[in-house]
Amino acid sequence: MLEVTALRYRHNGAVTAEYRYDLEVGAGQIACLTGKSGSGKSTCLDLIAGFLQPHSGQVRIDKTNILTLAPEHRPLTILFQSHNLFDHLSAAQNVALGTNTSLKLTDNEKRDVQSALDRVGLLPLAGQRAGQLSGGEQQRVALARCLIRERPVLLLDEPFGALDRETRADMIVLVRKIVSEQSLAALMVTHDFNELDKAADRHYELSDGCIQRLK
Amino acid sequence: MYTARKPSWTLWGGTGTSLALLCLAAGIFWTLWTAGRGQETVEPDVAYIGAVLWFTLFQAAASTVLSLALGLAVAWSLTYQRRFPGRRQLIALMSLSMVLPTLVVVLGLITVLGRQGWLNSLFGSIGVPGIGSAIYGFGGILTAHVFLNAPFVARLLLQRLDTVPVERLKLGRSLGLSTWQRFRFIDWPALASSLPGLCVTVFLLCFTSFAVVLTLGGSPRFNTLEVAIYEAIKLEFDIRQAVALSLAQLGVCGALVVAASAFRSQDRSLSVVAERMPWPESSPLRLLQLSVISIFTLVYTAPLLAVLTDGLPADFAALMSQPVFVRALMTSLILATLSSAITLTVALLISGARHRLASPLHTRQTRFVPVVTSLLTVSGTIYLAIPSLVMALGFFLIARKLAADVYVLAPLALLLANVLMALPFALVIIYPALHKAGLKHDRVAISLGLSGFPRWRWVDFPAIRAEIGFVAALSFCFSFGDLGVISVFGNRGFSTLPWLLYQKMGSYRTTEAAGIALILLVITFIVFFVVPGCFKGKRDA
Repeated sequence: MLEVTALRYRHNGAVTAEYRYDLEVGAGQIACLTGKSGSGKSTCLDLIAGFLQPHSGQVRIDKTNILTLAPEHRPLTILFQSHNLFDHLSAAQNVALGTNTSLKLTDNEKRDVQSALDRVGLLPLAGQRAGQLSGGEQQRVALARCLIRERPVLLLDEPFGALDRETRADMIVLVRKIVSEQSLAALMVTHDFNELDKAADRHYELSDGCIQRLK
Repeated sequence: MYTARKPSWTLWGGTGTSLALLCLAAGIFWTLWTAGRGQETVEPDVAYIGAVLWFTLFQAAASTVLSLALGLAVAWSLTYQRRFPGRRQLIALMSLSMVLPTLVVVLGLITVLGRQGWLNSLFGSIGVPGIGSAIYGFGGILTAHVFLNAPFVARLLLQRLDTVPVERLKLGRSLGLSTWQRFRFIDWPALASSLPGLCVTVFLLCFTSFAVVLTLGGSPRFNTLEVAIYEAIKLEFDIRQAVALSLAQLGVCGALVVAASAFRSQDRSLSVVAERMPWPESSPLRLLQLSVISIFTLVYTAPLLAVLTDGLPADFAALMSQPVFVRALMTSLILATLSSAITLTVALLISGARHRLASPLHTRQTRFVPVVTSLLTVSGTIYLAIPSLVMALGFFLIARKLAADVYVLAPLALLLANVLMALPFALVIIYPALHKAGLKHDRVAISLGLSGFPRWRWVDFPAIRAEIGFVAALSFCFSFGDLGVISVFGNRGFSTLPWLLYQKMGSYRTTEAAGIALILLVITFIVFFVVPGCFKGKRDA
């Protein structure tokens, strides 16, 4: 379970902005986060993932505050809209990075990689270079890597924004299935109300730096 | 039918200019090819040419490897040490290495590393054996080449590393990649595609290096083809030998330019990310990166500071009272300004024509379009394959046919050579910018009936004004600091500032030389940093 409580962040860029986040996502649930461009949706994910440091507040996963942990040690995985894969590596190598970054895999790890690729329906393309895969296939590979990491929280930063409508619908079904089966807590930033309708158990909206629960 | 498809002066002007450039290149080649034939002179010394060619290739290869290694280390360190004090200024100074007058760099290096230099004095004061005269000979050639090229390499690789998408960095951190894994999975893929092209470019620059070898070579053993051509023309008056050396030079450069263009086509366009995510380093790694940057800063700025400290005590009033200095200064300024204006005009014409051909909105895509496009592309880049001394010899031989006194045509030859040497670089900068702006604005401009000067004034110029400013400064500095062609055409009545500096260095008038070097450095510095700023406007407003 993911709990974000009174998480505050001040952005000092061309325009100074202040954000405060409060949200909760249960195991097996998908919460969608919406808001205008620049409203701080991705900033919220960056704070939870550890890419940005908040000024105050708490982020708890299964009752443990994770703010003191380095990004790689946080019990979560993240899926971006693009650049999720290393183009020069194969699909299988990209997935394997989720379990062993030296890519010297044991037999068990190799089996896990194959199983993860199988679950997203891409086992036949395991040896294909990531750069040669279609947009939808690339997102599936990235999702397979999220699976293999076996972290309780999944963050999705507009993950299907670059896909066509049909592929997007397929991916939402797949994510929904994975989240339920693995009892993950998923937080998804989206602009697409179709996605929201199909995927969201909860809906939070960001406006004027504050978060509001709509569903 | 679109009115835009009417024949355009840009297309005809660009194509005509390209044809003229190709004819000139063919003329230079033909003149060289036929020059040595039928003359009652001795046969070219093939063994000597072979030895010179071997050394030229060897020193260029060694310089390239060292420049790339140092440049890569500096770029990588600067990428991950974004809070290094003076980082922005250092990067700006690194860009300057592209246009620094070579002789000024040589003078600075001699002050720091020469027999009486700072380093030897420092070693002497603490009782340690110094480096003696290591700045002359092979070591000196390598040092100067690395000094001139490593910052250029570092600047480009740094730009490459800055194009790594922030998502990839976040992913790397979230996966817990080690430093080596980060380099292997994130940094190296970003760098790898640009390395072959960069490697060939640096090799070409070192292969055709003239001023460095002329001043620091110190012995005929270390002659490169460029210096051998110069000696054959100016000292031995052996045109046939000069021609044979030039043809060898042309052959290698031509092959390198073809290789470079093959690599360039694989290169992806750069789009620098607005903000790079910080990636905290471990303490030993941080120390290593800070050491690399600090040592590089020291080594890179010391010769420039040396030029400053040596030059400041010079008697500038006395220098200004010398008619020969004033003439050289005015000649350099006028030639550099004209060269800059002409380079820019030619680059805009050729780029404009290329864009019109590439856009179906402007030109119906017939089978002639690829032919004319190739013509436009080749006409600019072909001059990369013609080094300055080869060009100078070509112009020298053409001038001999056209006028009784070849030196009458010296200013024209120098101006033309400066334009042709800067043109390939100008095209690489102007064309992508103009094409991108065209793709973005063509439909609206055509629908509004904007064409000709109003289109240039309100659409194209504002979109590429930054690139225009950069090219104007770059071509000015190239011309202002060049010692290649003037070394063939320079005489008592016609001199430029670098040629005057070389003469002062040769006659051991070190104080005057230091003063001239400082003036060269200051003017280059001002033009390179101020001119582009003048062109920056409300582009992004």
